[in-house]
Amino acid sequence: MSSSLRREPLETAAFRAGYLTLLALMLLPLLVVVVTSFSGTGRLAFPPESYSLVWYGEFLDSVRWLDAFTNSIVIGVGTALVATLLGVMGAFGQEIDDGSLGTVLAPLVLIPLLIPPVILGITLLMYFNEVGLRGSYASIVLAHTLWATPLVYFVMRSVFSRFDWQQLDAAQDLGAGPVQSFVYVVLPNVKHGIFVGGLLAFIISLQEFVMALFLSTPSTETIPVLAWTEIRQALDPMVSVVSTFLIVISVVGILLAVVATNLEWLSKQLS
Amino acid sequence: MAETNSQFPRSLKGVRESLGQQSGSNRALLLMAPLLAFELLVFVVPFFILLRISFAEESSDLVYAEGTWTLEAYSSVLTSDLIWSIVGYSFLLGIVVTVLSVLIGLFYAYAIWRSTGLLKSLLLFSVVLPLLTTLVIRTYAFNPLLSPSGTLNELLLSLGLISSPIQFVPGTVGVVVGQLYIVLPYAVLAIYSVLATMDWHVVEAARDLGASRPRSVLEVVVPQAMPGVIVAAVISFAWSVGAYAAPDLLSGNITFAMQVEGLMLSDMRYPLAAAFSVLMLLLMLVSIAIMFTLLNRIGGEFELA
Amino acid sequence: MSEITLRDLEKRYGETTAVQDVSVEIRDGELLCLLGPSGSGKSTTLRMIAGLETPTSGEITLDGADVTDQPAYERNTSTVFQDWALFPHKTVLENVAFGLKMRDVPKDERRERAEAMLERVQMGGYGDEDPTTLSGGQKQRVALARSLAVNPDVLLLDEPLSNLDKRLREDMQIELREIHEDLEETFVHVTHDQDEAFTLADRIGIMDQGELIQVGEPTEVYENPANRFIEGFLGDTNFVDSQVVGVTDGAVRVETELGYELVLPTDRNPDVAEGTELTLSLRPEVLSIERDPTADAVEGHEQPMLADGSTSNAVVGTVENVLYRGSTVRYSVSVNGTSMFAERTGASTDALTAGEEIRIEWDGTDVLAFRTDGSRVTL
Repeated sequence: MSSSLRREPLETAAFRAGYLTLLALMLLPLLVVVVTSFSGTGRLAFPPESYSLVWYGEFLDSVRWLDAFTNSIVIGVGTALVATLLGVMGAFGQEIDDGSLGTVLAPLVLIPLLIPPVILGITLLMYFNEVGLRGSYASIVLAHTLWATPLVYFVMRSVFSRFDWQQLDAAQDLGAGPVQSFVYVVLPNVKHGIFVGGLLAFIISLQEFVMALFLSTPSTETIPVLAWTEIRQALDPMVSVVSTFLIVISVVGILLAVVATNLEWLSKQLS
Repeated sequence: MAETNSQFPRSLKGVRESLGQQSGSNRALLLMAPLLAFELLVFVVPFFILLRISFAEESSDLVYAEGTWTLEAYSSVLTSDLIWSIVGYSFLLGIVVTVLSVLIGLFYAYAIWRSTGLLKSLLLFSVVLPLLTTLVIRTYAFNPLLSPSGTLNELLLSLGLISSPIQFVPGTVGVVVGQLYIVLPYAVLAIYSVLATMDWHVVEAARDLGASRPRSVLEVVVPQAMPGVIVAAVISFAWSVGAYAAPDLLSGNITFAMQVEGLMLSDMRYPLAAAFSVLMLLLMLVSIAIMFTLLNRIGGEFELA
Repeated sequence: MSEITLRDLEKRYGETTAVQDVSVEIRDGELLCLLGPSGSGKSTTLRMIAGLETPTSGEITLDGADVTDQPAYERNTSTVFQDWALFPHKTVLENVAFGLKMRDVPKDERRERAEAMLERVQMGGYGDEDPTTLSGGQKQRVALARSLAVNPDVLLLDEPLSNLDKRLREDMQIELREIHEDLEETFVHVTHDQDEAFTLADRIGIMDQGELIQVGEPTEVYENPANRFIEGFLGDTNFVDSQVVGVTDGAVRVETELGYELVLPTDRNPDVAEGTELTLSLRPEVLSIERDPTADAVEGHEQPMLADGSTSNAVVGTVENVLYRGSTVRYSVSVNGTSMFAERTGASTDALTAGEEIRIEWDGTDVLAFRTDGSRVTL
């Protein structure tokens, strides 16, 4: 009797301790990265022996890092644009489609996410070699789009499925053409979804590493690729500085997405 | 007369309807066409080229000899002991990481499902943030943590739990931890997305009928979460078997991905790399099929009254 | 044998108190209905009995044993949930056999018992169905069978009928009543529907704002409500504001908002003084309607006291509105500008029409009086 009296709270405590430990472990590596970026010495240790901003200064002076940063942004924006365009159009098409094409499209779009990026990288490298795109920004943008499109596509599918399509009928009934009705009726309702999708695509591209490693050349290398080469040569806090920038970009991105989706939710509540 | 009268408008309406449908589906087709073309050109066609190159002869001055057909690449892959030991290690890594990732993923997803308010947001954030951080960073952070002179060893030494540092990194423990950290967020989200649609009362009903906490989870939560568990297992497995960054950075052991990278980028032996990739894809497909059947059977066993 | 005692039960969630000061003894074999509006704490109380919630303070005993901190799976109580909570991935039979499986009953035996239990709730032959494909009424039966299959000491029902349509709900009430009489087990049934409580209950416990206000047999709580909330909750009534103008031997005289001075007969010395504000409750079933407005009793607006200690009270008003409700007809009547209502059976042939002047009569002993804080005045 007395054992059963204490077992429940004990189980609850163990359960809580379990997930709080995991929570700490999930965030620990990122914490390590951010903290070590403020290291005052050249040795990568956690916690660092001393703190300074010296590695941030080094970063801003390094042409190679800044070039990689530019490359990452160019490729990220390119990916976001292509993936958003393809994903939004595809999801919209599937929404108004009553044929069977959509049932083929959904798994086809999803499969690239399930294939190890190394195999995708190899396959695409051979392919771009054949078609003469090797070493171009476009090759990396296309590869990243392969991964980013499914995310945009599934975000948009869920956004469109919540949209009241009678509004579109009503608009067309009132004389709006297909393009007009999309711009004036559909777009205002789904623009936050498009924004979140595009943001996700940008972040995915910014962080993707394996495919970029295979496809980039010294002139198109992105931040993760350069970070990788640097790490393999020497473990110094410079990579932590770069990583901190990437983490900050992700956090800001998540916050933006949360704000956007909540705005969407809010505007739905109000209308 | 009355009959034709009633038929005439109906058929006219039918014509208009089918016309309307056609233009509608044409528009849909037009909208889906770019995405479809993209997937064909950047995904399907490249795989056929990979397949084609795997059957080509090697060439001394080019990456492969065009227009040739041979099974040479496959025979050298299949007869190489080194390749098979690499395959074995890759699969071992894949299986260990998958089991851990599904178990921990289930636990963490359940915790997220059961929590509310700020705690829930924090737990979700802890999953999404690593997901959106490049795996280079995620992997390299384990170096200062797990290396012989790293934080964990220093902690264990100062607590007197060990007398000399343990080498987690470089080593298989380090790879498993690093790779787990890469795939766990996906596993958690896949399982959580299924749990989120579940009714908590069902678990309460099981406890009310005499199932202890662990048993109620096993009997009611796990079978219902099976679709999520399967997705989590497939992603964890495929990515861990094909792991590149974690093994390269955290261990000395060579995995499939490292080997194939060497074959392509250093040795320029495209047919060999292609054949090895095709072989791995096939092996992975077979394993995933086996895993699928196993998981479904386990799910089925839970369901027996 | 299963008696449940709740002693000073309290449940708080942070700042909000869901249940407080709940004490009741639930007798062996009785069907107790916990009745109250939503948010009154009745479901929380039930969940504490089930072990699905732990009380913040207080004690629950089951047959004398303290089970307050015992988890749900160790208590031999069984709950039928509002949404039924059937296991969607198990067949109907597996659902019903689940509790037996948890008690390690051998497979053949639990199958047999589960099938028998399905027969009992008229769901025989549905064993292999997927529960998600069943209708609401069928799900409800399966949930009931699942809970009964473990042969619980106490069956707890958390508004299991509220998701059914009216006709089905009424059939199920009668069926539940029959099952309860058959099994002679203790049932605790939570509902917000007073008709359901009256149909089912041996005793009714009425809850409001987390407190258990009154427990008693249906006739007792209806005829002798502890406070104004219960009087209003258990049925439609006319609440009439009034003020005591005189307390004489055997009678309290009040001046009402209806413009009439009324007499409340009493056989004790009621705890009211001149000037006390009272709310009177005139239930429609104690009111009778007379078409002749000019009876003696009304003259002078003063109500006489009859020789047997009762009073014949009456007011005159104008019919404003006629609401035909099938079995009854409800008339809203304006008495000196204040609106009240009275009812007659729909079978009455001499239908009244709007604008007609009528007299409403009642026996003064049928009137209940409440103080401004809601408490009852014993007359």
